[in-house]
Amino acid sequence: MGLGPRTLEKLCRAVGRDHVVWDAYDLVIFERDASIAGALPDAIVYPANVEEVAAVLEIAAEQQLPVVPRGAGTGLSGGAVTLRGGLALSLARLRRIIEIDPKRRTALVEPGVVNYDLGLEAARHGLFYAPDPSSQKACTIGGNAAENSGGPHCLYYGVTTNHILGMEVVLSDGSVHWVGGEDPDRPGLDLLGLLVGSEGTLAVTTKLLVKLLPTPEAVSTLMAAFPSIESASKAVSDVIGHGIVPAALEMMDKVTIGAVEAHYKAGYPTSAGAVLLVEVDGLTESARELTAAIEQILETDDAFEIRVAEDPAERELLWAGRKGAIGALGHIKPNYYLHDGVVPRTKLPEVLRDVGRIGEHYRLPVANVFHAGDGNLHPNILFDLREKGIMKKVEKAGEEMLRACIDAGGTLSGEHGIGLEKNAFMPWIFGPDDLAAMQAVKDVLDPSGRLNPGKIFPPAGQIEPKLIARSGVASEARWW
Amino acid sequence: MVTVDGLKPKAVEKPKTAEELAGCLSEASRAGQAVIPIGGGRALGMGDPPARFDLALVTTGLDRIVEVSPEDLTATVQAGVTLEALQAELGKARQFLPLDPFASPGHTIGGLLATAWSGPLRQRYGTPREFLVGLQVALPDGRLARSGGKVVKNVSGYDLNKLHFGALGSLGVITEASFKVFPRPLFEETVEASEPQLTDAWREARRALDLKLPPVALELVREPDRHRLVARFAGSEDGVRRMVRELVWAPVGEADFWQQHSRRRAGRWLRVAVPPEALRDVLQSLPEAASWWAHPGVGVVHWVDFESAQVAAVRAAAEDAGGSAVLLAAPSALKSELGAWGRQPATIDLMRRVKRAFDPAGTLSPGRYLV
Ligand SMILES: Cc1cc2nc3c(=O)[nH]c(=O)nc-3n(C[C@H](O)[C@H](O)[C@H](O)COP(=O)(O)OP(=O)(O)OC[C@H]3O[C@@H](n4cnc5c(N)ncnc54)[C@H](O)[C@@H]3O)c2cc1C
Repeated sequence: MGLGPRTLEKLCRAVGRDHVVWDAYDLVIFERDASIAGALPDAIVYPANVEEVAAVLEIAAEQQLPVVPRGAGTGLSGGAVTLRGGLALSLARLRRIIEIDPKRRTALVEPGVVNYDLGLEAARHGLFYAPDPSSQKACTIGGNAAENSGGPHCLYYGVTTNHILGMEVVLSDGSVHWVGGEDPDRPGLDLLGLLVGSEGTLAVTTKLLVKLLPTPEAVSTLMAAFPSIESASKAVSDVIGHGIVPAALEMMDKVTIGAVEAHYKAGYPTSAGAVLLVEVDGLTESARELTAAIEQILETDDAFEIRVAEDPAERELLWAGRKGAIGALGHIKPNYYLHDGVVPRTKLPEVLRDVGRIGEHYRLPVANVFHAGDGNLHPNILFDLREKGIMKKVEKAGEEMLRACIDAGGTLSGEHGIGLEKNAFMPWIFGPDDLAAMQAVKDVLDPSGRLNPGKIFPPAGQIEPKLIARSGVASEARWW
Repeated sequence: MVTVDGLKPKAVEKPKTAEELAGCLSEASRAGQAVIPIGGGRALGMGDPPARFDLALVTTGLDRIVEVSPEDLTATVQAGVTLEALQAELGKARQFLPLDPFASPGHTIGGLLATAWSGPLRQRYGTPREFLVGLQVALPDGRLARSGGKVVKNVSGYDLNKLHFGALGSLGVITEASFKVFPRPLFEETVEASEPQLTDAWREARRALDLKLPPVALELVREPDRHRLVARFAGSEDGVRRMVRELVWAPVGEADFWQQHSRRRAGRWLRVAVPPEALRDVLQSLPEAASWWAHPGVGVVHWVDFESAQVAAVRAAAEDAGGSAVLLAAPSALKSELGAWGRQPATIDLMRRVKRAFDPAGTLSPGRYLV
């Protein structure tokens, strides 16, 4: 559609000529995120601070333009895709860690701060920021808040929403508000809790006050190899069933192990049907005691090799394999489609069996690498986009896998968000009345529906985003 | 007969199912009536005196534990189930909901979620905000709306759980809730600092909170003749023992200290909540002979049996420190005079718009909540 010269002029005046992009060639850069869908914005704007964000939103309101906030674009559900065109609002220039307060154990940051960078800065004070998505070297704290992201260590520590104390947000009318705060038991509705996880559809976040935690005294990381996914899944249930909630409890299947070993040499036995990574932290004696207890459970459950990391380097390597797994899968096929269903932990073996069957049925390789302790599956369908007609099969397989999760009493997304990828499936888990309550909230905060339109809610009319598919080799491998 | 701030309802309904409850609610709403949901009645002192009160909608008929799944560490219960009933069920698998509210026993799950009441264990586990994973809520138009789900991790749709938590039933009546539950700690020990003066108590509290394994609960209690500082540790036996050794406090006198503590309640009761760093100054603003108990690591002090004239100054101090002072219980006249909630939040207009979207006719607890 393209923006009129007057609108562009206003945007340039608001954020500076250098920070508005509308050249058709340049717009392609923001056509997509890390999901398989894409659509072009009419312009990209790069405000530098909250005032400029508010100014951009005011212009958008005046011109009735859609606005899609964007962090690093690592989202896996199409959240940052400008489905209806309009403005891609990049928060990349709001990238200051404003303050770390070691005494209060808080950090005040701008949304464009990269998760990993906050971690590094916090570490200088003996603190850490708990939510650790595997994309943490690229994704932003603002994006994490919008998706309510998780990560391996969220099993024990909780997900992003449990670690955000307050946010400065701009609504679609350009008004600026603070929600939440450092004081507990605030009277009034918990708008902060509502906005975290709202996928950029209710507000644009311009500042975040987050909790930091003291680094634990001891960390113990253990890799265990199992003959099959079934035996590894049983081990997961047994660990939790013994009343042990480790800091992290991650699983990788045979396909993933092969790819990871070829790339990282993390030391996972390639003969294994599945590998578990288990981490416990806390006091030295507790870590020791728990590690021993876990080892015993895993052995009883047929682990044929157990290795406890001897030093930080070995621990890093074990984790490098896990965190880089998705990139490594590029060795098998150039493209991937990653799903994010959750099931009750006890249903893991049966749902993973279904996932395997579905992959076989469509003759698509599937790699599983996921947060087993939470029952949060990540079946990753591998394919080559150059194969004619493959996208239809990939989509169909993905849909059936999600269906299997729902049939097992689970849900559509544990951490990647609904976006435009799963919104059509929302009626599987929410009835019209449930969705109406959510819509009521949307109508209050974004009455004209211009903030990240076409996401979360099931589409009324069908708008087909352009399926582009993600290349594992080209992009992810680079992050690690 | 239930009364709220001395007001009697014209009718009382005690539905047996969520659908029936939603039906009563919508009927009342259509008739322009004012409805107050009532659970265990333990926290009915909260809120401003209602503007009107036609129907008491009692939730204790919804008393079913729907599903407890120990291997999944999850539980789903109807709103009228008491906390004690749920704990007993979870206890069979050595699990529990880490929630130990004051004025126990007898809270219902629905009431606890609506009031956001909690207790000392929030030091470690936070309030149910952090482990509530799903809700079903009856809305004034008779619809039953779900949010979240039954699994421990879920980002599908807006997190409306958070909106209803602590909203005093002003947006809808909670009918069912799902939680992430926790394994009981392997080992626990409760210790007490020896008769500290208030200044020593702060130093000791800081020491406890800075331990590598901080206590799961830490309470500073002002009794008529002394201060008590009590810490509850939980974890592996060796670890807990080392923490206790490092702290050099003595085992607490009462075997049932925490149970006794959770029974505390009062007819005049102010909950002051400030950023934790500011708590010390706020405590100093309390009258010398005041009776209170506090969570130093959280930033909350419960002040009870105060004189009416004393409240305004303390509230001002709390609000100036970036916090709040909410009356959890007080004579109606006093609540009317001072307001139960204190200063309005800056985002009150947004909150009011949300309230209107859910309850356009003002059916639910009119006048009681701050929104
Ligand atoms: C290899 C790989 C591994 C991953 N691993 C994990 C994982 O372990 N756990 C996990 O949870 N996710 C994971 N992800 C998904 C993704 O990294 C997260 O969702 C992340 O939080 C997105 O952050 P971002 O900055 O890239 O946001 P974007 O992709 O740019 O945006 C995501 C959403 O947030 C909105 N948004 C962004 N910034 C703001 C803002 N300031 N205000 C309002 N809305 C905003 C956008 O509109 C969009 O809807 C992974 C992705 C990849 C590619």
